Amino acid sequence: MLRYRFLFEQMVRRELRQKYKGSALGLLWYLINPIVLMGAYVLVFSVLLRVADIPDYPLFVVAGMIVWVFFAQAMLAAAPSMEQNAPLVRKVRFPREAIPAATALVQLATFLVMLALLAPVAVAIRGSLEPGLLALPVVVVLLFAFVLGLSMAVSVLHAHYRDVEPVVAAALLPWFFVTPIFLRVEDIPGVSSRQWLGDLLEWGNPVAPFVSAVRELLYAGAAPSLGHLAYLTVAGLGALALGMLCFRRLGRELAVVL
Amino acid sequence: MRPGEVTLEHASRSFLLRPEERARTLKELFVRRGRRDGARVAALDDVTLHIEPGEAVGLVGRNGAGKTSTLRCLAGIVPLDSGRAQCGGRVVSLLELGAGFGADFTGRENVFLNGALHGFEKEEIEERLEDIVAFSELGEFVDVPVRAYSAGMYLRLGFSIAAFLDVDVLLIDEVLAVGDESFQRKCLRRIAERMEEGATLILVSHDPSAIERVCRRVVVLDAGSVRFDDTTAEGLLFYHRLLGARPDDARRERRGPGVDVLDLQLRDSEDRARSAFRSGETVRVALSVTGPAERAVVAIEIRDSDGSRLFRTDTTLGAIEGETEVVYEIPRLGLLGGDYDLVVGAGDHDAPPAGTLDRIVRLSVSETFDAEGLVDLRGEWRVREREPLR
Repeated sequence: MLRYRFLFEQMVRRELRQKYKGSALGLLWYLINPIVLMGAYVLVFSVLLRVADIPDYPLFVVAGMIVWVFFAQAMLAAAPSMEQNAPLVRKVRFPREAIPAATALVQLATFLVMLALLAPVAVAIRGSLEPGLLALPVVVVLLFAFVLGLSMAVSVLHAHYRDVEPVVAAALLPWFFVTPIFLRVEDIPGVSSRQWLGDLLEWGNPVAPFVSAVRELLYAGAAPSLGHLAYLTVAGLGALALGMLCFRRLGRELAVVL
Repeated sequence: MRPGEVTLEHASRSFLLRPEERARTLKELFVRRGRRDGARVAALDDVTLHIEPGEAVGLVGRNGAGKTSTLRCLAGIVPLDSGRAQCGGRVVSLLELGAGFGADFTGRENVFLNGALHGFEKEEIEERLEDIVAFSELGEFVDVPVRAYSAGMYLRLGFSIAAFLDVDVLLIDEVLAVGDESFQRKCLRRIAERMEEGATLILVSHDPSAIERVCRRVVVLDAGSVRFDDTTAEGLLFYHRLLGARPDDARRERRGPGVDVLDLQLRDSEDRARSAFRSGETVRVALSVTGPAERAVVAIEIRDSDGSRLFRTDTTLGAIEGETEVVYEIPRLGLLGGDYDLVVGAGDHDAPPAGTLDRIVRLSVSETFDAEGLVDLRGEWRVREREPLR
């Protein structure tokens, strides 16, 4: 992978240049989009439909939401990426992983910028400057592995089966609502009496532990437990392995199917 | 594998005729990459080739003969079904204009992107940047996004990148045709230079003159197999014979001083153009030549499908200025059933050397059932029983 560092750099630049070219705000759109989205949700859930009595609720929501936005935007960008780069794939030989990797890297950059904007605010408001915050980089790396692996998988799958992108897009909305972003799992009404439901919501959805880990770090300054970290590691590496498996199985024929 | 060496060993690759019809399920995907149903067409069918470092090989064939597929397999873009394809050292392919360009990148930025795609490092590209920019003759356009480029500019940039990076194997597909004449000539010169430095070239082109100028060896592909692999002159001849059924394609451009053959047609006794005849019919070979020449000579040659000469004759036309019609009439076609090539060559002062090929046309003779061979010497059998001597 390191051999292709320069290629990745070039591909990311190309990806950045292609989207939002010629628009006045340019790259800022990468931030404006998720910020507007998050603003709307915060407004609805903290002012109009108060679902929980959590102090500094907007911060609580945003801290979890940036993880979801990273994940969802990366999936939506990665799924059609091979198809969009078909002329390149058909005519030039290069490691095809560079295409979904570039889309994932662009989304990672957005995520990191939002993290950098949010973290000082969270620390200032919540006073969450705890040693546990040192676990944040580890969680971010694992989250990126998770997103990268799934990006690779959906991009190569969509190249072969054009239903994948609409399926992903359709799945993201319900997935968003079962992900504990607006409430901690234990605070969801009906979970306290049914332990299995809580476990399912927290651990059955691989995005949920990433959301809660980042949120608890920023909002409460609490590092994830070892078990939680182990889960994140397995999810991150597992997704990466899945992405590579998909590439091994389907990557060779990309120039033919596109 | 030495740098610049290229080999294909029993390489085969087929494609689904109508890929959109493949019914695929997710289960099939992870169980095995099984044989899928549906008509497949062989783009490469047991192709074996060996190319030495520094060689320049022209790849010719009809549309769909597998030329581009061969390049794509060699470049590693498309995997083989069976067999092996290997290129020693670094490979750069120029398969399509602007493939691997970012439309919103400037020409200069695209040099880096394209170089990176072909596996070069930033430093290696920086070293060559000035040469590339100078060769491309893009001037100040090099700092304009390539979105605004013409096809010719795309070619100039793409070719300059391929030609100046330190590659061992250069695969070029029919792109040079886009450039203007002078840039084309410059490209061909540059290719020749690269080959002196030890690079290997495989050039796909429909333009025989380009292949003639660079390649010493020609491989003719037909329906995915190698039909011919030898010197350029012989290879192009073979290729033209392959095209013979379509006389329009079967001409070789030979511009230069002297006599030019403009048109070649076979006609029957009623002056209708035809390409299939029966043995014994009248065949008129109608051609037009143009001068100016002091003493134009035209030669007609008939070859069998192996390329052996069956017959040759020539005639002196004398001084010609403009376009001149010449008809050679064969009152009784003395050939048996099969396919032949009728080749015409022209020269000034002297008869064109044997093997000169200005125009070629396919002459098909319909099947004859009562004789075998090439030459029609059919006659009458007479049988008479002699009176026994008493």
